[in-house]
Amino acid sequence: MTNATTTAPQTPSPAPPAAESRNWLVRTAADTVSRLGAKIGLTCIALIVFCAVFAPLLASSHPLLIKLDNQWSSPMLKHLTPTDVILLVAFVTAVITATLRRVNPTRRAWVFFAVTLIAVPLAVVFVNPPRAIVYEQYREAQAADRVEFVLRAPIPYSPIDRLRDQFDPDQPHPRPPSAQHPLGTERNGSDILSRMIHASRIALAVGFIAEGLALVIGVTIGGLMGYFAGPVDLFGMRLVEIFRSIPQIYLLLTFVAFFGRNLYLIMVIIGLTSWVGYALFTRAEFLRLRKQDFVQAAIACGLPLRSILFRHMLPNGMAPILVNISFGIASAILAESVLSFLGLGVIDEPSWGEMLNQAVSAGGGFYWWLATFRGLAIFLTVFSYNMVGEAVRDAIDPHLQRTPT
Amino acid sequence: MTDKPLLKIEDLAVSFPTSGSLDHRVRAVNGLNLSIYPRQTLAIVGESGCGKSVSALSTLQLIPTPPGRYDQGRIWWDADGQPCDLLSLSEKEIRRVRGNQIAMIFQEPMTSLNPVYTIGEQILEAILIHQKTRRAQARQIATQALTDVGIADPHARLDEYPHQLSGGMRQRVMIAMALACQPRLLLADEPTTALDVTIQAQILELLRKLQRERGMSVLLITHDLGVVAENADTVAVMYAGRIVEYGSVHDIFSQPLHPYTRGLLASMPVLGKRHERLTTIPGSVPNPADFPSGCPFHPRCVDMKDDPKCTADDPPLREIHEKHWAACWHTPGHNQAQTTTPDLSYRRPEAAPVV
Repeated sequence: MTNATTTAPQTPSPAPPAAESRNWLVRTAADTVSRLGAKIGLTCIALIVFCAVFAPLLASSHPLLIKLDNQWSSPMLKHLTPTDVILLVAFVTAVITATLRRVNPTRRAWVFFAVTLIAVPLAVVFVNPPRAIVYEQYREAQAADRVEFVLRAPIPYSPIDRLRDQFDPDQPHPRPPSAQHPLGTERNGSDILSRMIHASRIALAVGFIAEGLALVIGVTIGGLMGYFAGPVDLFGMRLVEIFRSIPQIYLLLTFVAFFGRNLYLIMVIIGLTSWVGYALFTRAEFLRLRKQDFVQAAIACGLPLRSILFRHMLPNGMAPILVNISFGIASAILAESVLSFLGLGVIDEPSWGEMLNQAVSAGGGFYWWLATFRGLAIFLTVFSYNMVGEAVRDAIDPHLQRTPT
Repeated sequence: MTDKPLLKIEDLAVSFPTSGSLDHRVRAVNGLNLSIYPRQTLAIVGESGCGKSVSALSTLQLIPTPPGRYDQGRIWWDADGQPCDLLSLSEKEIRRVRGNQIAMIFQEPMTSLNPVYTIGEQILEAILIHQKTRRAQARQIATQALTDVGIADPHARLDEYPHQLSGGMRQRVMIAMALACQPRLLLADEPTTALDVTIQAQILELLRKLQRERGMSVLLITHDLGVVAENADTVAVMYAGRIVEYGSVHDIFSQPLHPYTRGLLASMPVLGKRHERLTTIPGSVPNPADFPSGCPFHPRCVDMKDDPKCTADDPPLREIHEKHWAACWHTPGHNQAQTTTPDLSYRRPEAAPVV
C-alpha cells in the first residue's frame, strides 16, 4: 500500500472538545442525571433499592449476631431466604461491575446478568432457611439472662412477627407511632416500618419485571412492524389494537379469581397488557429510521437483520422508549398497589397496597398512621419514577433548551 | 486473454406500484442491459428519476420488495469463474455478497454513518461479519483501510464519532468501510454530490487511486459530466428507465449520437467561454406513471420536427458505430444498424485525459 501522506486531507478537522467524544447514550445519561428532578427521583429510587436489598439486615427479629449460652451465632444469616441471597449477590455484583470502569460497559452488563442468573438456581438449591420460625426464642433467652452479647437490626421486628405482645390489655393494637415502633403497628401487632421496608421489594420487582417483559415484547413487535412495514405492520397494528382494548385491572381481577393470588402471575399480566405503548413508540421510530441512509448503508454492508434492528436502529430510536420506561414502571407499581388495595394481591408477603387496605378495613375508627406512611411510600415511588422520566425526556428533546439547574 | 464481464445486467426491469393502486405498476427501469469488466469504470449518467440508482440498488437486491418488484431480467455476477444470478440468490446468500464482493457508497456522507457508534465500531462490524478474523486483527485491517483513504492519525480516528468528522472525512470513512473487505466491484451512487468542489476532486482522485491499486471495478452513478470525463471508461446514458446511448467515454464526448446526450453536454458550463445563459434541455423527466408514447424523450427533443415515428414507436438501442450504441430514430445510420446487446470492455489507458 502506498504512503497515506500523499493524499492526506487538506480539510482541517475541527478539534472536538473532550466532552463530545462520548456515546450519545452516555451523554444523555449524564445530561439526565445533572437535572434536579432526576437527582431527587434517583435518590428516592436508590433508597428503595437499598431497603429492598438490605431488608433482612434493616428489619428482622433475628439478631444479627448473638452470644447465646457461650456460643456465637448469627440467626439472621441462618434465616436468609433464597430471595435475600439473590438480591444481595446481585447488588454486590452490580457494585463491583460498576467500579470496573476500564471494561467496556456492554461486557460489564453481561457479567452482571450472568452472575445473577447463575446465583438464582444456586440460591434456590443451597439456601434452606428453617421452615418453623420462632421469633420469641431470642427475646425469651434474653429475658432468662442466657445472652451475653447481642447485636440486633435497627428495627428488631420481622414483618410477620406479630405475637409479641398482642394480648397486652393496656396497649391494644394498632398502636400509634412510638419510640418502640417508629411508624406504629398494625392491628395484628406487626411493625409498620419493618413491613414497609420488606414491601419495597414487591414494588421494585413489579416495576422491573413487569416493565422488562413489556419492553422486550413491545420493542420486538414494534421493531419488526416498523422495519418491515406493509403487511407485517398491518397485522401488528391489529394485534396492538386487540391488546390495547383489554382493560388491565379487569383482566387482573379475572385471573386472580381463577388462578389465585400469585405475584408472578400479576407481574406477567401487567407486562402482557402494557407492551402496547412500547410497540407503538418503537414502530414509529423504526418507520422513521428504516429509510435513513445509515440503515441503508448497514444493509448494503451485508449485516444480518438482528444487527440492523437492534444494533443500528434501536439505539437511534431509544429516546421515546427510555421516557416510557420510567412512566411504565410507575404505572405498574400503581397497578399492583391497586390490586393489593382491593384485597386481591399477595397475602404472605407485605405489599404497600395491601397495607393501605388495612387502613380501611381495620375497623373501630380511623388510624391515621396506617394510611399515611404507605400512601406516602407509593406516592414517592411513583413520583420519583415520573421525575426521572421527565428528566430523560428533557435531556433527549433537542427543542427544549437546557434549563440551568 | 479471456476478458469476461464481472457483472452483466440482462434485460432488467424493476417496477413499483403507483401511489394508491396496487395493480397499476410503473417501470422505474425497463429493459436495462449493461456489463462491467474487471478494472473498468462504468458511469451511468442521467437526470434525477432516470432509474440510475434503482439499477445499482437492484444489483444487491436492495430494492424493498414489496413495494418494488423485479419483473424480468438477470444480473450475472462472475463468482470465481462461475456465473451466478444475483437476483435469484436468497436473502442469506446475497448478504454474503453485500459489502464483501460488491460494496456500495452512498450520496450523503453526513447521514450514512450511524451516529451512535464510533467509526471503528462500524468498520469493525463490517469486517467481522465477512471475514474470519479476530478483533485485534480486524482493528488492524480497519486502521489500514483508514490509512488507505488518506486519513491522518487513523488510530485516534477509529475511536471518534461521526459527528466529530467533516463531510469529506466522513465520505473517506464510508469508502474505507466499503473497501475494508476488498470488494471486486464498488457501486458509487453519486459519491461526491453532497461535497464541495475541492473535496469532490480529492475523493474522486482517491477512488481512482484505490481502483488502480486493487484492480477493482466501479459503477459510478452521477449526473456530473465532468466527473464522467475524468473517471469513466465507458458511459451509459439513461433516460426514463432505459439506456439511450452507450459507448466509450471518448465516443460519448467527441461524437454524441443521442439528442439527450448532446443536450446534457451542451448544458455543461465551459470554463473560459462566455455564455449569456446556460443551454438547458427544455421540460423535465416524465413521470414514470405517465410516459409519453413512442420515444420517451420526444416531448423534449429538438431533433424531432414532428416526425410521427417518434411519437409512435420506441426506438431500440442499436449499434450505430462499432461499440457505440444509441436509441434514436434520427441518428444517422440507425435504420441500417443492428440491434445488439451493449457490451464494451474498453478501459482507458492510465492517466490519459479525455477532454
